[in-house]
Amino acid sequence: MDIILQQLVNGLTLGSVYGLIAIGYTMVYGIIGMINFAHGDVYMVSSYLTAIAIALLSYFGLESFPIIIFGTLIFTIVVTGAYGWVIERVAYRPLRNSSRLAVLISAIGMSLILQNYVQIAQGARQQGVPTMLTGAIRLDIGDGFVQITYMKLFILFVAFLGMGVLTYIIQKTKLGRMCRATQQDRKMASILGINTDRIISAVFVIGATMAALAGVLITLDYGAFDFYVGFIIGIKAFTAAVLGGIGSLPGAMLGGVILGLSEALFAGLISSDYKDVFSFSLLVIILIFRPSGLLGKPEVEKV
Amino acid sequence: MSQQTKGINIVSALKDTVIAGLLSLIIFGPVVGVLLDGYDFTFQGADVAFIVSIVMAGRFAISIFSQTEFGEAFLYRQATKDDGVVVTAPGYKSRMRFIIPIMIVVGLLVPFIASKYVLTVVILGLIYVLLGLGLNIVVGLAGLLDLGFVGFYAIGAYGLALGYENLGLGFWSMLPLAAIMAAVAGAILGFPVLRMHGDYLAIVTLGFGEIIRLVLTNWTSFTHGPNGISAPLPTLFGLEFKRRSREGTPFHEFFGLPYDSAYKYIFIYLILLLVVLAVLYIKHRLTRMPIGRAWEALREDEIACRSLGLNHVLVKLSAFMLGASTGGLAGVFFATYQGFVNPSSFTFFESALILAIVVLGGMGSTIGVVIAAFVLTVLPEMLREFADYRVLMFGILMVVMMVWKPRGLVRVTRTGFATRKGSAK
Amino acid sequence: MSKAVVRKTLVSLAVAGAVTMAQADVVIGVAGPHTGAYAAFGEQLWRGAEKAAMDINANGGINGEMIKLVKADDACEPKQAVSIANRLVDSDEAVAVVGHFCSSSSIPASGIYEEAGVLMVTPASTNPTLTERGLPNVFRVCGRDDQQGDVAASYIVDQLGAKRVAILHDKDTYGKGLADAMKSTMNSYGVDEVLYEGLTRGEKDFNAVVTKIRSVDADVVYFGGLHSEAGPLVRQMREQGLTATFISGDGIVSDEFVSVAGSPEYVDGVLMTFGADPTTYSAGKQVVEEFRADGIEPEGYVMYSYTAMQVVAAGLAAADGDPMAASDWLHSHKIDTVMGTKEFDEKGDLLVSDYVMYEWDANGKYSMLNN
Repeated sequence: MDIILQQLVNGLTLGSVYGLIAIGYTMVYGIIGMINFAHGDVYMVSSYLTAIAIALLSYFGLESFPIIIFGTLIFTIVVTGAYGWVIERVAYRPLRNSSRLAVLISAIGMSLILQNYVQIAQGARQQGVPTMLTGAIRLDIGDGFVQITYMKLFILFVAFLGMGVLTYIIQKTKLGRMCRATQQDRKMASILGINTDRIISAVFVIGATMAALAGVLITLDYGAFDFYVGFIIGIKAFTAAVLGGIGSLPGAMLGGVILGLSEALFAGLISSDYKDVFSFSLLVIILIFRPSGLLGKPEVEKV
Repeated sequence: MSQQTKGINIVSALKDTVIAGLLSLIIFGPVVGVLLDGYDFTFQGADVAFIVSIVMAGRFAISIFSQTEFGEAFLYRQATKDDGVVVTAPGYKSRMRFIIPIMIVVGLLVPFIASKYVLTVVILGLIYVLLGLGLNIVVGLAGLLDLGFVGFYAIGAYGLALGYENLGLGFWSMLPLAAIMAAVAGAILGFPVLRMHGDYLAIVTLGFGEIIRLVLTNWTSFTHGPNGISAPLPTLFGLEFKRRSREGTPFHEFFGLPYDSAYKYIFIYLILLLVVLAVLYIKHRLTRMPIGRAWEALREDEIACRSLGLNHVLVKLSAFMLGASTGGLAGVFFATYQGFVNPSSFTFFESALILAIVVLGGMGSTIGVVIAAFVLTVLPEMLREFADYRVLMFGILMVVMMVWKPRGLVRVTRTGFATRKGSAK
Repeated sequence: MSKAVVRKTLVSLAVAGAVTMAQADVVIGVAGPHTGAYAAFGEQLWRGAEKAAMDINANGGINGEMIKLVKADDACEPKQAVSIANRLVDSDEAVAVVGHFCSSSSIPASGIYEEAGVLMVTPASTNPTLTERGLPNVFRVCGRDDQQGDVAASYIVDQLGAKRVAILHDKDTYGKGLADAMKSTMNSYGVDEVLYEGLTRGEKDFNAVVTKIRSVDADVVYFGGLHSEAGPLVRQMREQGLTATFISGDGIVSDEFVSVAGSPEYVDGVLMTFGADPTTYSAGKQVVEEFRADGIEPEGYVMYSYTAMQVVAAGLAAADGDPMAASDWLHSHKIDTVMGTKEFDEKGDLLVSDYVMYEWDANGKYSMLNN
């Protein structure tokens, strides 16, 4: 019993982080219909930025957890947002009217660039950040126990807070309305006076911001990263986005949580060797029965 | 774009430059300027200044250039690239008639003039030509985005290695068998997923490729897992290309030649060249046959095709199976060329590379695929001079090539048709 | 002469050596992952080999001929390993190779070196298959996975008296080979594992597996893999309140292990098998100090790579530059290196495995266990 509960906690935290990164994929896909393969590497850059921010802040003698976490979040989000903007401007905007596959290849090239640029700048070594928040809640259940670190609670809290804020922005603000209009019909939106290029840039920045949030949280929790971490987590997050229905915000979060839970439960109860095989099989099965993902709108075939 | 044709606005160029400089300071400042060292760091101010000044100089040059008349014309051309398939006149005779025989002759001469290293690079290039041709059917012609093509490649490669180990089958028996196996795998994958659209298909195929790799890694009792497994060399009528042969005489002793390890590469190269030429010919004919035309029609408008009574499942499935079998062939050659296979050769990156070949070659163009395959396999080898910057350069070139030629290196052409004279109106 | 003067002369000699390297005669390849996910190890290989070559050149080279190094990048991909091996043999005309790093690269590349008659000494590929194929030109200056597994297994069974052992590996040639070797020795001692699972290299979340270890109530966790996974793994174990002893192999020998684990307190008490400390040899101690004077920590495979280069140089010097004769010579002679005297058996493996147990302490340092 305690083991199952612990696995649920593990899956939920992992899944919420997948969800945050999946948002970047799903929003970009929704608006310009491209798979942004460099998104995982944007997350990787934000891991480095987190460590850099922590090192800089402690250099200036700031040691208390709230200040460090707050300063790190702001710094990482701003710089990662700039990365999102520049990447879109340099590698994707010139291809706006080309085939979607051309953009896809450009994104793969961008992913290689980011990985190798960081490797050259920072070296290939494994990096880490010092543990910031220690301690855990321990719940005794029967003869077993469930242990949840404060950091995990913090991750869940911030991830869902970030999701909530983003949903508010998309649903209630003017920027959000313009994003949705552009997603519906880019030509029509620009006829109605929306600067769609700017909206697309904004979407990339928002996606990068969410990746930065995930980057700070994961880096603080696991403490370890290198220039290659973006790859696996990027593929997982993309899977989550598709699972939930690509283009749908709540879908990204739901897909992330389902993927995280299925990985944790399968690894915990059956075998961690085949957990990725299980995740991908689950994806295929869900897509066979719901070809547009769990919350995606079914594609209407127009004549 | 501004209508102004004369005069260069230095102020706006300077403004662009300053903005670019600030942005590059934000982008490169932290990652380049603060070198992490454990939990500590060192400042690398000079590196940042260097990069920022390069970015600013570049931005300034581009700003000035785009304001000149020539620059405006250039930008206009970039913005209004016409696209689509070029249809040539019915009686048009391609210049390829002369180029192809020359290429074949050059191809046959390569092993006798090139050094062993160059030969191995060319073999790798040809393997990617095969892979590109296979994926070209699926992505370029049928328009099905497949991100897991490497799965079929792995089936071919492991087919040879495992077939040799468990059943004692050699290169020549596995070559057709692997193609059939890969085609069957393509059918098994294709059947359930073909009702999905575009990018859902992409992720499912990506998952399929990963599942194959993970099974190869984890099923150690059968595949030997990450340790890999050795693959046999092809034989010439039973003659082996080894220094010493366990059974029978090796090739060099039979012909009384001194031993040279290059022989086996020459032999692999010649077989591979023949297979590539055969596949090229088949692909060329297929695009003119009803099935090839059905693929392209389905890519352009699925609903119209189905309304006209085309069996879309069968058409898509045939594309999937043919593409997969070509991938399987490539896998057999890869395994025999390397003499060893393990799962790390079949990662998602490999799929991405093959896809890049198809897209860069110009979706659907056969010659383009051949050129792009060589560009993308020879390029990393040529970039070895850049040492640590090799993969970075490769990434930059990928982006630049796409931005420069989004429709690929070679435009797709199709010969037009005209009704024969004398036929009924 | 004071120490500083000695160092200065050595450095200037080394620089002189580097200059003369331009008109080099002996080309030696340093093959490893200089890019890609394993690039950190490629860097270690290069540093060790580079310094060894400089030191050898400063002392007159190989019979007066200077060593010229060629950096060869295989990114730990078999495909690139084959291509780069052909290039080294063919275009660069290398007579010997220090490398490769990954066993999955070394195995396909070794065949090409054998055909071309090139000497190959790997500082890091520990998979037994490499030397089991009977190639005369292949040597390794590291132990084999099975030797390392033996040391760990006997320690777990005899010293720790463990009954419930969980074995994890990273599904890679090295990590899985190590875990399998340790498992089979341990089983032969009559102890069966309670859990045997693989992780995915590159992931950082192992909470699910950690919870599973908790559910089987293991008192020892053995991990075959590298510090990039071992760090988060041991940290997540402690965070979930799991106190089982953590044991691993030489893949975690790096100060990065501590920074990756997040804090020295997490690595406190972690055990590992590794070759005897080079600072216990006087020659090794001096080289280690010189490395540190240059601001390089000779961790992980740096010293192994240095040793490999010394073995290559000794062999070539004895055989007058003929690599195949050098291979014959190496099979039957002792070589003095910075990691002690090395002797090879007919397969090219070290005759004496020098694996011992190390323990990490609460300050994030490791030291040899006296037993």
